[in-house]
Amino acid sequence: MQSSRERLDPVTFEVLKNAFVTVVDQMAEQVLRTCHSFVLYARDFSSALCDAQGDTVMQGSMDIAVHVGTLHFTAKAVIDAFPGDVHPGDVFLVNDPYLGGTHFCDVRLIRPIFAEGELIAFAQSNGHWADVGGSVPGSFDVTAREHFGEGLRITPVRICDRGRWLHDVVRLIVSNTRAPEGAEGDLHSQSEATRVADQEIGRLVAKYGRDTIVAAFAQVQDYVERLTRQRIAALPDGSWSTVDSLDQDPRLEEGLIPVHVRLTIEGDRMHFDLSGSHPAIGTFLNGSYGSSFSGVVTGTKMFFPDVPLNSGFYRAIDIDAGPVGSVVNAPWPVAVTGFCSGAYGKIVNAVFELCGEVMPERAIACCPDIEYLLVGGRDARLPGRPIFMWYDWMVAGWGGRNGKDGANCTSSIFGVGEAVQPCEGQERLAPIVTSEHAILTDSGGPGRFRGGCGVVKGGTLTAADASVMSYCCDRARSITWGVRGGLPSIPHGAWLNPGRPDARYMGAIFSNVPIRAGDSFSRPSAGGGGFGDPLERAPDAVLEDVIDGYVSIERARKDYGVVVHAVDPDVDAFEIDLAATARERARIRAERRGWLEEDPEEIARRYRAGELDVFDLVRHYGVIVDWGDGRLLKRSTETFRAMLQRRAVAHWPTPA
Amino acid sequence: MSTASKRLAVDVGGTFTDLCLLDEATGRIEIAKTPSTPDPIDGVLRGVAELGVALADVAVFSHGTTVATNALLTRRLPRAAMVNTRGFRDVIEIRRGWKNELWDAYRDVAPPYIRRRDRFEVRERVDYAGQVLEPLDLAEARALAAKLRRRGVESIAVCLMNAHANPAHERALREVLAAELPDARISLSSEVLPEIFEHERFSTTVGNAVLAPLVADYVKRLESRLRADGYAGDLLILHSGGGVMTPSSVERLAVRLASSGIAAGAIASRHIAAEAGFPNAIGLDMGGTSTDISLTYQGETRVTKEWYVEFGYPICFPSIEVLTIGAGGGSLAWIDDAGSLRNGPQSAGADPGPACYGRGGEAPTNTDANLVLGRLGEQLIGGAMRLDRAAAQRAIEERVAKPLGLDLREAASAMLRVANANMADAVRLLSVRRGYDPREFALVVFGGAGPLHGAFLARELSIPTVLVPPHPGITSALGCLLVDIEHDLSTMLLGRADELAPDALETRFRALEDEARALLDREAVPPEQQAIRRSIDMRYAGQWRSLTIPVGRPIESLDDAVAAFHAEHAREHNYRRDAAPVEVYRLGVRAVGQVPKPGLARAARGAGRAEPVGERPVWFDGFDRALATPIFARAALAAGASFEGPAVVEQLDSTVVVPPGAHARVDEWGNLRIRVS
Repeated sequence: MQSSRERLDPVTFEVLKNAFVTVVDQMAEQVLRTCHSFVLYARDFSSALCDAQGDTVMQGSMDIAVHVGTLHFTAKAVIDAFPGDVHPGDVFLVNDPYLGGTHFCDVRLIRPIFAEGELIAFAQSNGHWADVGGSVPGSFDVTAREHFGEGLRITPVRICDRGRWLHDVVRLIVSNTRAPEGAEGDLHSQSEATRVADQEIGRLVAKYGRDTIVAAFAQVQDYVERLTRQRIAALPDGSWSTVDSLDQDPRLEEGLIPVHVRLTIEGDRMHFDLSGSHPAIGTFLNGSYGSSFSGVVTGTKMFFPDVPLNSGFYRAIDIDAGPVGSVVNAPWPVAVTGFCSGAYGKIVNAVFELCGEVMPERAIACCPDIEYLLVGGRDARLPGRPIFMWYDWMVAGWGGRNGKDGANCTSSIFGVGEAVQPCEGQERLAPIVTSEHAILTDSGGPGRFRGGCGVVKGGTLTAADASVMSYCCDRARSITWGVRGGLPSIPHGAWLNPGRPDARYMGAIFSNVPIRAGDSFSRPSAGGGGFGDPLERAPDAVLEDVIDGYVSIERARKDYGVVVHAVDPDVDAFEIDLAATARERARIRAERRGWLEEDPEEIARRYRAGELDVFDLVRHYGVIVDWGDGRLLKRSTETFRAMLQRRAVAHWPTPA
Repeated sequence: MSTASKRLAVDVGGTFTDLCLLDEATGRIEIAKTPSTPDPIDGVLRGVAELGVALADVAVFSHGTTVATNALLTRRLPRAAMVNTRGFRDVIEIRRGWKNELWDAYRDVAPPYIRRRDRFEVRERVDYAGQVLEPLDLAEARALAAKLRRRGVESIAVCLMNAHANPAHERALREVLAAELPDARISLSSEVLPEIFEHERFSTTVGNAVLAPLVADYVKRLESRLRADGYAGDLLILHSGGGVMTPSSVERLAVRLASSGIAAGAIASRHIAAEAGFPNAIGLDMGGTSTDISLTYQGETRVTKEWYVEFGYPICFPSIEVLTIGAGGGSLAWIDDAGSLRNGPQSAGADPGPACYGRGGEAPTNTDANLVLGRLGEQLIGGAMRLDRAAAQRAIEERVAKPLGLDLREAASAMLRVANANMADAVRLLSVRRGYDPREFALVVFGGAGPLHGAFLARELSIPTVLVPPHPGITSALGCLLVDIEHDLSTMLLGRADELAPDALETRFRALEDEARALLDREAVPPEQQAIRRSIDMRYAGQWRSLTIPVGRPIESLDDAVAAFHAEHAREHNYRRDAAPVEVYRLGVRAVGQVPKPGLARAARGAGRAEPVGERPVWFDGFDRALATPIFARAALAAGASFEGPAVVEQLDSTVVVPPGAHARVDEWGNLRIRVS
């Protein structure tokens, strides 16, 4: 534990701890009210107060999850880059994922705070800019293997020198984005947010004295560390390990890409080890050290919801990302912008699973990662055909829980505080008409406690030209899984011109695909994985799901063994056939283990012939194919089936 | 013209129904407080009976109610349905996706007010500019109407994409639905809130649809019972925006009542401060479980267009901005796992209540701490309730003093300092954060517990003056007396300020004003009492949030508005960008039907020196012993009376603490003014 100066009395401590919360929340308000980027406005930002060493004293209570655990790294990066050269009135900027940041779009403004001539703290505002250059609009180049195609890398740089703006530097930065005015607006918004913190800390220093405030910075961290260690000490010692996977490395033969996580609890410490994870892959879904650190913190924090977040929390948890060069510890210049759909969520879900073993009362099945669909080009509705960027992410279903269905339609684990955009706003800003934004029936993973439902969203390009589409997504093959006998939800993946003869399955990851006016597209977000054996779900719960259309009559029978008849659907009159349900459940119990042994080639053939559908393959046979042409993915299937054996079959009762 | 000369205001809260009767002839106020009843109307009439007023003598009956709020919270809602554009019936369930409990995967956002099974779709589509992309499928609409009739639907929310840009399909649907379901109430999103962004518009419309039958029924029943008892005037219902509406508007805009109860206190604090000469006021209404904070600047109470009763379902009508925090007299002090002293948000509630209530509560509350320090006496409500000092001491000793190694007084004082600091942080969020300096404000404290804490809080915030109104416990009801009929109308207008033609704006404003005057005419407001205020919501091009800038009429140029916008941006957000283009987002009109305001009686002037009725030892921070502190009876304090702290003023519905170094004086309105600095 860090040494603190004189121990504060309990009142001063509590008052200052809450005051620091108010400071970072005031920063967040400022950003929300003045920002330009729609991504920032959707709350993809975070705010932090760091001490003179760069350690985080307090983070915003509504901060985006994915930034958690990374803000102290960038504060320290600034300290390291400007030794003895930090002055009152300075503002620094950094977006470097290789210095503990997340991805290039996350631009961090850092302002030193002085009291009586002494540097006592840093205020940091981190926000996702809509564009930071690179080869595609929105700076999400799926095919990038190195950072050079992804966007502008900004190592720590001074943008304001003792109160004087360095306009030349600012101009250089914003000129490397596709929306310079918006970027400059966001830069002001974030800079002012850090000024709010400076003023408030100044007020606290005037009232309590510098030494008290500095002592409080340390003691608030000690407090969180103490609290966290106490919680960990109450857990059993032991070691648990699991593996989650990314879909593929397009440079290699098909096959899932493993991310290994081992949790060891010893006394009052938790140790996470990511060793053994696959080498970095040939897309931008890799994670750098900072983002992997964040993944572990995010996953763990969900099990300690009431513990405040600061460096004290990080001190109670050891994180070993394993050897440099892996998919979870990618060094410069490996591309990492898509980490949020790739490595990050695999770490978070693996941590969920491990912590759920230790704290079963808070266990949760797999929750889908965020996905981004980007369409960019020229908006032909307007004179001058300006550049447009339609940059879209969706809600998803969350995993089933111990005693409770998963939440429907919730922002992804990437950041539960991130809002999805209004379609009406998008239609005004880009020549795309949304065709639907709707809950996807049967998308929740079957379980005694069903995974929450995901959604489907599609659109048609209208008056536009020179347009391309890119997709940053995963889990088309490493499908969102269930636990304790629960089953997976559905694969991700986008379709171009669905329902037309020229319909094309595009998969979960592609870049710069040309699309023309009149083309349409659609893609689902997965539901959560199921929790517990679906054959043990109460038939009445299945019936209610059928009435609401969360589950279809067909999948009620196939996934839950519950036979429902529609009597008069117009007035919600449905009934359960109890005898048929008993028979169906017995049949499934007897046969389901065998389904997972059937010849995958034959299953793939029946899929291509239209005899089986996606749900059948994923939930009954454990077979992974290319969802467009039905080609069997043999190695992926092997891994997927092994996963089902471990997470589902092992928990099913043995048939009598 | 009736000879009735009394004005009656009734504020129905969750626990109590407060009444406030003003005799216009004398300016005198009488008050009553009675427990709220399952059917709130029973409590209202019981209170009327307690006051002993004949309703025939009442000229104006105004009413704040939590009936709508409670219906939303308890989900006791009528059978409602929603009709959407094909592909969009789940907008209301998808919401904006985010949660307020970010880190607790076991706590969910509440489900939508209308379940998925009750949400239906029709084929139609309008684009962002209002052009029809796909015509409304009338055959499908008729089939749907027949289905809804079979389902026994009482209320329908019609919510189509981009209906703010072209309401034709929603209107056509209303005709089809009304033909089949003549008794159902139909709310159109293009009428309830004609603004862009589907979830916000739909959510507001759904709120209206589920509340309309309930609220209309409530108002109708109340009106008929008041009429039966002889009331001949208009029934005025307080809405969230701080104005009142008549029953004819309530039915159309039911969702405006969703925070009716909270607005009253904010209005009262504005009025009390204004009369006392303070255009800037922070209102602090501290009750048993929570504290409501509001802010008035230059005579205008802050409003917000982003609020909700349950997180995830915004109601986007202008509403008085009230920040509610879990800090009240009954808030519990506790030591967390890491040994830190916390206060709230959990509360002992009314049952068992604070330890000193002697009803089995064992955890220490702020009330217990105030009692132990002598700030609160052992008798409340004029002796009707006795507090158990030993129980309070025991609770604080066991749960706070021992674990922290403090003595009893230190522990009690520590509890209150934490509580006051939490409230101060909340006030800062509403004031400092928005560019207001608390030092320029008066703090108006009311609610049962507000006057116990007000002076300490003011010192914490450097607020120089605290105002304690004459009846802190029923101040919210007083707020209901002080309101005008108000309607807020708005229309989207997007464009660069330097490109919009002023006469185009003028035309749009005139159309809004015609609509507004028609509403006031329907409410029988004579033209000379009608007032219209215009505003433009503006922002820097590219920003997402706008600021509301009041403008005059007619509009000849936008230059002044743009200049005012830059200034307001600098005040609210600390900076301005004079070179950046400014964008117009929305035009707003507030239609006011002025209700003649009562003149409150000025308190009788008495002797300058106040005579205490007793004395007791009271502990204050910074003193190592209890100070012999005079106790005053509020009822005996005449205008002009003044005294120095330390002092305690006791009255039926509250206790006021004046700390050492502060000076108190009764002003001509009967307010106790405490100068703390």
